Amino acid sequence: MTKNFHEFRDPIHTFVKMDSTEKKVLESYPFQRLRYIRQLSTTYLLYPSANHTRFEHSLGVMELASRVFDTITHSDNLHNDIRDLIPEIHDIDALRYWRRVLRMAALCHDIGHLPFSHGAEAELLPKGWDHERITKELILSPEMRKIWSSIKPPLTPEDIAKLAIGPKKMIDHPFTDWEAILSEIIVGNSFGVDRMDYLLRDSHHIGVAYGRFDHYRLVDTLRILPVPPEGPQEIGQSKETTLGIEQGGLQSAESLLLARYFMFSQVYYHRVRRIYDIHLRDFLKDWLPGGFFPTHLSDFLELSDNQVLAAMYNTCQNVSHPGHDAARRIIERSHYKRIYEFNPDDIRINPDSVGVVYTVLKDKFGEDLLRFDHEKPKASENNFPVIRSDNGRIVSALSLSETLNHIPSARAEFIFAHPEISTTVTQWLEKNKKSVIELKGEE
Amino acid sequence: MERINNILVILKLIESLKRHGSWCGETHVQKAIFSLQELKGIPLEFQFVLYKHGPFSFDLRDELTAMRADGLISFKIVNESYGPQLVISDRGEEIKRKFSRILNKYDNSIEFIGKNLGDKGVVELERIATALYVTREMRITDKDSRIEKIVALKPHIQSIQAKNAVEEIDALIREANT
Repeated sequence: MTKNFHEFRDPIHTFVKMDSTEKKVLESYPFQRLRYIRQLSTTYLLYPSANHTRFEHSLGVMELASRVFDTITHSDNLHNDIRDLIPEIHDIDALRYWRRVLRMAALCHDIGHLPFSHGAEAELLPKGWDHERITKELILSPEMRKIWSSIKPPLTPEDIAKLAIGPKKMIDHPFTDWEAILSEIIVGNSFGVDRMDYLLRDSHHIGVAYGRFDHYRLVDTLRILPVPPEGPQEIGQSKETTLGIEQGGLQSAESLLLARYFMFSQVYYHRVRRIYDIHLRDFLKDWLPGGFFPTHLSDFLELSDNQVLAAMYNTCQNVSHPGHDAARRIIERSHYKRIYEFNPDDIRINPDSVGVVYTVLKDKFGEDLLRFDHEKPKASENNFPVIRSDNGRIVSALSLSETLNHIPSARAEFIFAHPEISTTVTQWLEKNKKSVIELKGEE
Repeated sequence: MERINNILVILKLIESLKRHGSWCGETHVQKAIFSLQELKGIPLEFQFVLYKHGPFSFDLRDELTAMRADGLISFKIVNESYGPQLVISDRGEEIKRKFSRILNKYDNSIEFIGKNLGDKGVVELERIATALYVTREMRITDKDSRIEKIVALKPHIQSIQAKNAVEEIDALIREANT
C-alpha cells in the first residue's frame, strides 16, 4: 500500500509530518538545495557544532506554523471582537485552503537563501535583489508552479509567495487582514514561527541555553486580537487585527523575547562571527563573476555552501588570486581584530559614535586595513495585545509586563582592524576618541 | 539624509504632533512621517507599504526602535486601556536643543504636518494616509477610482468615508504646495 503520510524525526519538534502532496515540494530541487546551506553561516568557526541547515529549519517552521494556525482558528479561541472582521475564519473550505498555503509558504520561506545564509547577502546581489525576491521568484517558477497546480484544490503561487515573504518585501501586493495575520504567523515580529524555530534550533545545535523558552505554552495561548486603541478617541473604532496572547502566556512571550535578545547578543552578533562574515563577503566579491551572485534561477540553484567552501580552499592556495587574503583569513582563522564597538557611554555623547569613529580612522589608517560593521537594532514588537485573565479586557502587553519594557536591543556595531595595525589604532583611539565623537553642535 | 538628520526630523515631528494634541503612538508617527515625505517632499527615504492602518514603513519602525535603544525616545503607558505613547527622553531633548537650528529649513513643513494631523486619531489618519498612498504611490488620479481603490484595499472603510478622505487629502495637497 502506498504511504500517504510521512514523518520526519526532528530534535526540536520530535516529528514533523506531511502528506505525499506536500512531500513533492520537499523533493523538489530548490528545496533539497537547502540541505547544503548552513543556517548560521560562519558561526561554526566559533561554535563548532553550528552546522545545521536551512533544510531542517524549514521543516520546523512548517510544523510550528500549522500548530499556530490550528490554535488561532479553533472556534473556542475566537475573540468576539474579531469574528466579524475576518470572514475567512468561518469558511471551512477557505480555512482548509489557507492552512495548506500557510504550510507550503512556511516550508518555502527560505528557499531563496544565498550560500552561507545571511552572512554573505549584503552587497552580493545586484541592486533590487535580496533573498526574499529570489524566494518569490522560485515559488513562482515553472517547476514549483507544476507542484502547486497538482495539489487539490490547486494553490495559487502568489498566495504562497505573499505569506512566505510578508508585506515588508512583497511591496506591490497589498495584504488583506487575513493574509496579514497569516504572514505574521511566519515572519511576524512578535510571534513569528520562523523566529521561534531558529531560536530553539540554533540554541539546541550550538549548545547554548539562551534560546530556549516554553513554546508549547506560548503557541497554546496565541489569539487573533484587535489592536488596542491608541488614545481615548479610538475606543471601539479600530478594525485592525494582530496576533496577541492570553495573559497566561505572558511569561512565555517574555522568555521568547529575552531569548531573542540573548541569542542576538551572544551568538548572531558575536564579534568573531561578524568579522568572519565580512571576510566571507570580501572573498565572494572577488570570486563571483562581476562580484555578484547570479539571479538567473538555474545558475543560482547551482550554488550552495559546498561550492563556496571548495573555492575558498582553492583560493587560499593561490596567492595570485584577488580573493586570496580574505579566503586565507577564514581558512587559517586569522581574522581582523575588534578595535572599537558600540557602547552606551559614547552613544550618550553622539548617537552615531561608531560611524563617526570609522570615518576618522578610515582617513587616517586607510580603508583597506579596516572593516566597519553596522546593523541597526532589529525591531522587536513588544507592544502586542493581551487578554487580561481577570476582566477579559484587551490591553497592551507593555502595561502588564515590566520585563517587556526593559528588554534592550542587541547591537552589531563594530570596527575591526588588520592584526598588524590593531594595537596602533587602539592606542591612537584611546588618545583621540573624546574629540572624535564629540558632536559639533551649534553652541 | 544622514541618520542624525532623520533623528532630528523625527524628534521635531513628535514634538509638533504633541503640541497639536496628538496621542502620538507609533501609528500617529508612521502616518505623519509618510505625509511629511509625500506632501512636503522631505527626503527621509523611508519606504512605505500598505499594511496596518494604511501606509506603514518597516524601515521607520526599525529607526524608532534604534532611537529607543539609543535612549532618545521611549514608550510611555498612560492608561492600560490604550496603546503606548512615544515620548522624547531627556537625552532626545538635549540632542534636539543642541541642533535646534540645523535643519530648520524643514520646520515649517514639520509644523504643517503637526497642525493638520495632530488632532486626528488613528482611524482618521488611516483613511487620509491611505488616500494619499493611492494618489501618490499608486498614481491614481481619478477621484472615483481612488475611492473605489481605498474601499477595495480597506473593506472596513465605507465609500462615504473614502470620499471624504480623498477630498481632504486633495485639499491638503493643494495647501502643501502653496
